[in-house]
Amino acid sequence: MKTTYIMQKEIRESILTSKGFLWYTLTSIILSILSYLFLTNSELSLLDQGQMLYMIMNFITALGILMGLVFGSDAFAGEIERGTLEALFISPVNKTEIAMGKLGAAVTNWGIIFVISLPYLFVVGKGGQNLLIGIAYLAILGTLLAIIFSAFSMGLSARIKSMKNSLIISFFIFLLAGAPIFLSAALRKTWFGMILDLINPFADAINTFDSVVIDSQGFSYQAGRVAIICGYTLLSLWFLKRSVSRLEM
Amino acid sequence: MKRLILALSAVILSITVNYAYAANRIAVSINPPSVQANMGDTITYTGTITNNSDKAANNIIAYISLSNVTQGKESPMDLEDWSANKAIKIDTIQPHGTYGGKWPMRLIDSGSYVAYITVVDKNSNIPVSSEMSHLEVKRILRLNPNNVLPVAIGEPLIIGIVFMFVALRRRKGVK
Repeated sequence: MKTTYIMQKEIRESILTSKGFLWYTLTSIILSILSYLFLTNSELSLLDQGQMLYMIMNFITALGILMGLVFGSDAFAGEIERGTLEALFISPVNKTEIAMGKLGAAVTNWGIIFVISLPYLFVVGKGGQNLLIGIAYLAILGTLLAIIFSAFSMGLSARIKSMKNSLIISFFIFLLAGAPIFLSAALRKTWFGMILDLINPFADAINTFDSVVIDSQGFSYQAGRVAIICGYTLLSLWFLKRSVSRLEM
Repeated sequence: MKRLILALSAVILSITVNYAYAANRIAVSINPPSVQANMGDTITYTGTITNNSDKAANNIIAYISLSNVTQGKESPMDLEDWSANKAIKIDTIQPHGTYGGKWPMRLIDSGSYVAYITVVDKNSNIPVSSEMSHLEVKRILRLNPNNVLPVAIGEPLIIGIVFMFVALRRRKGVK
């Protein structure tokens, strides 16, 4: 109940504001440009429909993670810098409830991005293969990734107590997580590339999207990667709880 | 001198026979011999690989190649974007038997192309290629595929209107 209260407060203060609406309008404009390019550019428009859907799913996931990192970095360090954390701490809500409320708001933000992206996914994937199953995987894995990166960034923000620093470190971690995308297909098939792909939750998610949407493979192919992402989710929640329990004013 | 000429003739004869044997052992043809289509169309090339020898041909690899022959754009094409299955591995073709392979292909860009199928047999040093099939792809321009425009313009507009409505209500509430 108290967690819900904190979550509602965060949503009112971060999402239902001019800033929040500006983010979503920009998200929508970017997705509009991207999907229009996909469908009308002479070369891009003729990509396989599954390939287009896969590319736009990756973009939505990355966008959700990035916004989650910003939410997470602001969660505690931002409150400390604004001098509002003390007031929150003297309220009858414990630290874990505060953290879970803030995490709930970050996940709500991902939920809004997902809802905004739905019409684009339907337009881009129309008539193609595996549209609905692809969207289902995006909903589930996107939510887990939003939890992982937001909780990690929140934990960092509680430990470092500096929004700028926690944001920079979080972005570095995100770039590291996205590194397999920059590796060539041949390098990704080497033992180094395969290990990097496997232990990295972001790469696990995009490889799952590839496998589901483009290769039409069933859940048995995805189970290992999904299990790794679930493991990271638990680990990030543990990291957040531990970081917040140590937080002192 | 006579012996040398004889030996050289024998070597040349042996190479020629070997080449002719390899060339004749496997034969490959491509169908259709010419195609005219639009960008975005999917066409299928069929390759017929024939084993003309009395022995079974094992572990044969057949693949399709596409070259752009448009004036000023001459280059081989990377078929990955064209969604074409490039290589087919054939375990065995019986003596005097044939194998029919299919290569569906989505036409990504306009221009003049030639497609041909090559067969590689590990028992021969000479790959065998089919004749070239000429492909003409016409450019087409689509402005609103999949009804993307209403979504691409409408959604940012709706979010913007909701934002302005909420901001206006808040401002009134504050007053």
